[in-house]
Formats: sequence, structure tokens, C-alpha cells
Amino acid sequence: MSLSANTKTTQQWSNRSRVSFMLLLLIALSGLHLLYGARAIPLSTLPHALLHYDSHNFDHRVFVSLRLPRVLAMLLAGSCLAIAGYLLQVTLRNRLSDPHLLGLNAGASLAVVLVTAFPIAPMFTLVRPLVASAGAGLIFCFVLVISSAGKKGLQPLKLIFCGIAFSALAGAITSTILILDEDTLDQLRFWLIGDGAGANLNTVLISLPFAAAGLALSLLIMPQLSAMSLGDAMAKGLGASVQKVRFFSLCAAALLTGSAVSVVGPIGFVGLISASLWRGIHSRPSVSSLLLVALTGAALLMAADMAAISLFAPKELPTGALTGLVGAPVFLWIFVRRMR
Amino acid sequence: MRSELEKDNQMKDKRIKSSPLLSLRSGPYSVRIHLASLLTIVLLLTALVAVIFFALTTGSEAIPLHSVLAYLHLEALTTSSTANSTISNSTTVLSHALILDAFRAPRIALALFCGAMLACSGAVMQSLTRNGLADPSILGVREGAALCVVALILAAPGLSLAWRPAVGMVGGLASGIFVLLLARGSSSIRFVMIGISLSWFLSAAMMVLLAATDTKDLQTVLIWIAGSLQGATWQSVQLVAILFVTCFIALLFSAPSADIDALGDALSTSLGVRRKGIYMIRFSVAILLVAGSVSVAGSIGFVGLIAPHLARFLPNYSSRYHLISTSLIGAILVLAADTLGRAAFAPVELPAGVVIAVIGAPTLIILLWTRRNQL
Repeated sequence: MSLSANTKTTQQWSNRSRVSFMLLLLIALSGLHLLYGARAIPLSTLPHALLHYDSHNFDHRVFVSLRLPRVLAMLLAGSCLAIAGYLLQVTLRNRLSDPHLLGLNAGASLAVVLVTAFPIAPMFTLVRPLVASAGAGLIFCFVLVISSAGKKGLQPLKLIFCGIAFSALAGAITSTILILDEDTLDQLRFWLIGDGAGANLNTVLISLPFAAAGLALSLLIMPQLSAMSLGDAMAKGLGASVQKVRFFSLCAAALLTGSAVSVVGPIGFVGLISASLWRGIHSRPSVSSLLLVALTGAALLMAADMAAISLFAPKELPTGALTGLVGAPVFLWIFVRRMR
Repeated sequence: MRSELEKDNQMKDKRIKSSPLLSLRSGPYSVRIHLASLLTIVLLLTALVAVIFFALTTGSEAIPLHSVLAYLHLEALTTSSTANSTISNSTTVLSHALILDAFRAPRIALALFCGAMLACSGAVMQSLTRNGLADPSILGVREGAALCVVALILAAPGLSLAWRPAVGMVGGLASGIFVLLLARGSSSIRFVMIGISLSWFLSAAMMVLLAATDTKDLQTVLIWIAGSLQGATWQSVQLVAILFVTCFIALLFSAPSADIDALGDALSTSLGVRRKGIYMIRFSVAILLVAGSVSVAGSIGFVGLIAPHLARFLPNYSSRYHLISTSLIGAILVLAADTLGRAAFAPVELPAGVVIAVIGAPTLIILLWTRRNQL
């Protein structure tokens, strides 16, 4: 008894130190991101720009209208995508899960493109994250239905194939709409390739409540998810209703993905990479693991965005391409290690 | 996956018994002709010719059938009354011939060859990996070829068109061999998964490449990537035709051995099949076909996946017949998709790759559903 209590404390300690380390890293990266750019701006300008904003001062304007929104967008999107990926991995018991690979990103993009091309209500911009979430959830439902059919149930290969198939379908419809409707293409050009350059403060603020709702939902079901990691039978014995928890977890994943995609566009592999960095967070899902993954995702996306700005300096790379460049080998690594 | 193949073979056996088989012999050579399969091929050819004529006549400038026939030097087919009218306004016939020769005919020829190439390589990939879901676009070959061609276009835009297939083949072969070596064989889940992740990696690399380079040709590159046949010229058609014919002959000659190979390792070895050699030839030919098609027409996906499955619904005596009908179906598919993309939303043109993907993704979903117990 005392031994298990001991290991639990060490686990919590190590998680706590991991969280604080990631928090420090994230703050450092955000600061660097704010300061780095085509125009060198001293750190001392930052408090002035925030407290006594002067619209005639060029440095202030660069800070407030360009860099700050971008950093906030990356913070929001990175943590949301990472939490969504982690939720999917824990719920499906499959470490190869990621919102991008399972069709959630493609569904969210399709929904946003559809509503932009055929505007139903003028209030659309306010509910864009919700529309994106609905699209993500819908496509993911299809993926789940097809991939969990059959005798053997949910197999990793089947899941990945279904994700690819539905992503391809949604992608083909998306590009058809965009080719036929040039106005929509012009509106969404930057957003679609997963680029932070299009981020502005408004979209971040609009997504914030939806992201918060997703986060709250995932925090609420965390104890029950943790019970489910012991097996479905044990979880039922402990009083968790397995189906309901799964449903809410997938809802939370869809909400988080939708709010992230509506800010920065479809960026993949963040959830996959950030959860694979830490050992043991899948075996015992907890609030601290969730926090750790969220911080890691945000830091990861921040670093990727900085790399996207700085690698080919006057040119800017799409952030999503960089995460893909890192994420695909990580996927392979996880898969090969599991096969062994 | 094995059991699926066996079921397929059993169904084939049933069909074979119920349909007559001719055997022609002369000296040491013999050909067996399966009437039902032959009839299938003839029917597919007729359909192909119909689609070709439809594609030749439709477009922003509707060209009447007799002009098309005049262009093809088939005036004898037209009745005398229409022949008179063609003589009366020969200038329009001339301008029509110009349109056909400069734009439509090469484009149609390119669509036919690319479709046949992609379909063939899909059929070979599926039989080699013993996996009905194998598609060159999932295995990273297409992306490897595309990445190399894009790099070539960006690095040396003035270079002759003939270099593109060569460079694309190098890229495709490199990625195919990489996947094969890493997976140690092609019949496992590992192979598919490694291929998928390689294709993700390469497409991300392509995005980086496109964003990083400063180019005036970005528009051409983007159109090419979307899988459009817009820029077809007779030169590219020639290149692709030579490649297709060589590869197709190689596939036809190695098909019987591949048929025996499907019986299993031990049995095929004892029957005298050189398994390694046949395997390497067919694998590299499949990659060459994809790479060649990608390097002239860009990324057109899903043809390699759909066409072999459609051909499996038709009576095929052996994998030779299957190969022929697969390539015909592939040609029909790509040409129909291209014509549809050209004509459906008239001033705006949808690339053939997008049209095919709209049809192909649901097909993949249906295939996944039918295989839900095997995967």
C-alpha cells in the first residue's frame, strides 16, 4: 500500500516537474516569437504597447496587430489540437490517432468552406468554430462507423485507411468548391494551407469560448477516462458509463479541433507528436497529463511557427507543412515500436 | 487478405468452367483464347472509342462529328450529304482541325495513356502486395516522383520536357525501394503503414519546397500538382506512349508467372518460377508507370485503386486479360473525368485529379466496408 502511494507521488512529482518545465519553455518560446521577426523590436516596447497603445507608433502596431495575434493563435491552436489528439488516443486506445489523420481536420475545413461559399446566415463569422466542430464531428462519426465495423473491431490500419478515405473525399469536395468559387478561395487562401499569417485577434477571441467549452468537457470526463484505462469492465465497476464517456470525449475532441482549425487552418500531427514525447501518459490519463500535453502542443506549434518564419527568412513557410515534416516520421516510429 | 484472394480465384474458376476456351497452336507456341474475356475487351474498346468521340466533340467550341471525322481522315464514314457541307465551309473545318490538333487530341491521348498507366500499376501493386487496398498514391511512390519533378521544374524551368519522366522515375523508384527495404517485404501491414507515412512526409516536403522557392512558374507547378491534363502536347504524349508500351509488354510477358506465383511460395518455386526476378521486374515496372504518368500529368489519384477492382467484376480468364481490361477501364475513367471536368462547369475547368478523387474516395470507402472483416 505504502509502496503504491510512493510511486503515485513520484509519478505526480515527475508530472508536475514536466508541466513546470514545459510551462517555462512555452513562455520562453512565446517571448522569442514576439520579439523575433523581420523588424527587430526591443523587449521594453512590449509593456508600453500593451498598456499605452499608440496607433501612430509603428513598433506598437506591429506588436499588437501582427505578432500578438499570431502568438495567441498558436497558443490556442497548439493546445487544442494536442488535447484533441490525446483524447482520441486515450478513448480509441490507439496511439496513432490524431485529428488530422482521422479526418477531423478535413471535415472542419470542408464545413468552413461550405458555409463561406453558401452563406446561410450573416452571423456566420461568430459561429465559425462551431460550424467547423460540427464538420469535424460528422466526418469523424463516419470514420468511426466504418472502421469499427467487422469482426475484429477497431484496428489501427482500418482506422488510418478510413481517415485517409474520408479526408480525401472531404478534400476533393473542398477543392471542387474552391476552384468553382474564386471569392471563397480568395477569402480562405492563407487559412487553408495551415498558415499562421492569416491569424487575427478577432478569430482568436471568437474561438476562445468554444475551445474553453471543449477543455471544460475534457476536464469533466477525465476521472472517468482514467477509470476506463483500467479496462471497460473495471470502469463499469467503478461507476463510469463507458458509452457516455466515449461520446463526450469525442464531442470534446471535435469542439477542440473545430476551434483550432477555424483559427489557423488544418494543421496536422500536433497531437501525435506532443503525446508521444512523454512516456506513461497514456497508461494513466489524468488532469496533469492533459495539461502537460496541452503545454507541449502549444510549445511545439510555437516552435514550428518560428521555424516557418525564420528558416527561409524573407519567405514564409506554411506551419502545417513543418509539423507534417516532423510528424510523419514520428508516426512511423510509434508504429514500428508497437509492432516489435 | 489471403482468403480474399482465394475467394476471388474460386469465383474466377466458376466463370472459366462456364465459358468456352479456344486453343491455337503452331509449333512450340500456343495461345489460349478465352471467348468471354475477349468479348469483354472488345466491349471495353467500343466504350473507349465512344468516350473518345464524345471528348473530341465537346468543349468550349462544340465541334460537329463530321469535322472530327475529317480530322481523323475518316471522311468515308460520313454520308455524302454531310461530306458536301464540309466542302462548302472548309475554313471552319480547318479551324476545327487546328483546335483538335493543338488542344483536344493531345490532351485526350495523354488522358488515355495516363489512365492506362496508373490502372496497370495499381493492378500490379495489388497483386504484388496481396492487398486490394494498395494504391500507388498510398505507397509514397506518387509523392516521391512528384517531389523530384517539382524540384526539377523549379531548379531548371527551361529544361526539356523529356527530362521530367526520367527524374520522376528516379524519385519514384527511390521512394519505392526505401519503403520496400524498410518494411523487409511487401505483404505486411508494415509496408502499407511505412508507405503512408512516407507519402505524408514527402507531401509536406513538397509544400515546404513550393513555399521556400522564389518562382515565376508557381502557377504551372500548382496546375500540374492538381492533376490537370491542360498542358498536354504531342511531345509529352510521345514520351508517355513509348514508356507505356514498353512497360505494358513487360507486364504481359511476366503475367503468367505472376499467376502461378499467386499459388504460394513453395508451389510456384517447384513449378519453376523465378520469384525474385519476376517480383523485381513487376515492382519496378509498376513504379516506372506511376512515375511516368505523374511526371507529365501531375498527381491523379485513385485510378490505380478503382480500375483493377472494376475489372474484377468482368470475366477475366487470367491476369493477362485482367491487365488489359484494367488498362482500358483506367483509360476510360481518366478520359471521362477529364472531359467531365472540362465540360461540367464550362468556363471553369476542374482538374481530372479532383474529379477522380470525388468518385474514388467513396469507392475506397466501399472497399473498406466490404473488407471490414479482413483488415
